[in-house]
Amino acid sequence: MTDDPIRLKHRELEKIAMAALRVARILVECGARVRVVHQGATLVARGLGVEPVGLRTGYASQEITVRSGANTITRMMTIGPHGVNHRLDHAMRRLAVRVSHGGMTVDEVEAEIERLEKTTPRHPLWLVSLAVGMACAAFGRLLGIDWLAFGPVFVGGCLGQALRMYLHRRGINTYVLAAVIAFVAAGIAGASARLDGSTTVNLAMMASILLLVPGVPATNAQTDIMDGYPSMGSARAVSVLMVMGFATCGVWLAETLLGVQ
Amino acid sequence: MVSLDWMHLLHQAFFGAVAAAGFGVLFNFGLKALAWCAAAGALALSVRTVGLDLQWSLEAASFVAAVSASICANLFRRPLGPRGNAVALAGCIPMVPGAFFGQAFLGALAVTTPHPENAAVILTAIEYLLRVLFTLAAIGAGLAIPAYLLKHRDF
Repeated sequence: MTDDPIRLKHRELEKIAMAALRVARILVECGARVRVVHQGATLVARGLGVEPVGLRTGYASQEITVRSGANTITRMMTIGPHGVNHRLDHAMRRLAVRVSHGGMTVDEVEAEIERLEKTTPRHPLWLVSLAVGMACAAFGRLLGIDWLAFGPVFVGGCLGQALRMYLHRRGINTYVLAAVIAFVAAGIAGASARLDGSTTVNLAMMASILLLVPGVPATNAQTDIMDGYPSMGSARAVSVLMVMGFATCGVWLAETLLGVQ
Repeated sequence: MVSLDWMHLLHQAFFGAVAAAGFGVLFNFGLKALAWCAAAGALALSVRTVGLDLQWSLEAASFVAAVSASICANLFRRPLGPRGNAVALAGCIPMVPGAFFGQAFLGALAVTTPHPENAAVILTAIEYLLRVLFTLAAIGAGLAIPAYLLKHRDF
């Protein structure tokens, strides 16, 4: 069997296609635009000595066809939950550039991807919660909440973010999660702001759920369409609408329970 | 001639910076990049506030603010590198009209009650929804246009 050059070539092509797809998948999951994702996959494939013939990135899966001489192979990979992770995104881009310079084997690339996924630093959960709470409170000030509502929005945002990370780890559906967090964050912020005597309870409740506003997917949706990827752009826009719809349900429920108009 | 309220401008710039940096932590920016996010947020909110003080619409002010953030990110290419566009985007996050979005949805829920109070409810809901769409489009276009024109589309 070792004297079968065509089958060996296909196996090599498959490994290269899967390595390129893996980089592309991580880029999508980190919030990169489709143009960047395709550039990354192309750099990896070319760096490993094959020519990408076609790439397609959808919201839930992506495919690549690579060619070497007369041989081509097409492979598909599922994409996990979409998020935003700037440092891992740029670590992957740097890796793709390194691979494009040549000199790396597929196994080395796979090992490097593995290492980057495990070792790229993330901020500690407590810091993320505090930062998001502060961002919500600052957002609230930009919207016009009074100082009495500042603390409640901060607390609502912090606890909302902590709950988000906890539920995310338990694999709860993204949209259900948005409704639950909106209800909890808006409920805490609204009830506390009312106890504090704030006159901007309604705004405080809105500000506390701004951690859910999918700003990056919303702008990426537009850029993807501009770059010539309307299907991914539309899918992102629909996901933005869904998140906001579910988040609004959570706020509406909290407002109804608190009797806020 | 419209006079600027400097205290209000400083207030908006400061909280724009805090909000952008806070979202930067959520997006897992490194510490050095967080400072740039804060600067981009302060710039974007300052420009938008000046625009609103000059009686521009929210959409126009948001567009000019996003263009400013994007141009500055391209001007500071040397220290920022390829993350310039991401920093400009983080700076514009505090301008995303999330509260309008929520109010538009809540207004839509009010419209669908058995006896909506009056036509004003419907109009307000539609107004908020349109403002969300146009402001989001303005921010997206403002961020993208300089990057396309300046041809700095690093990987």
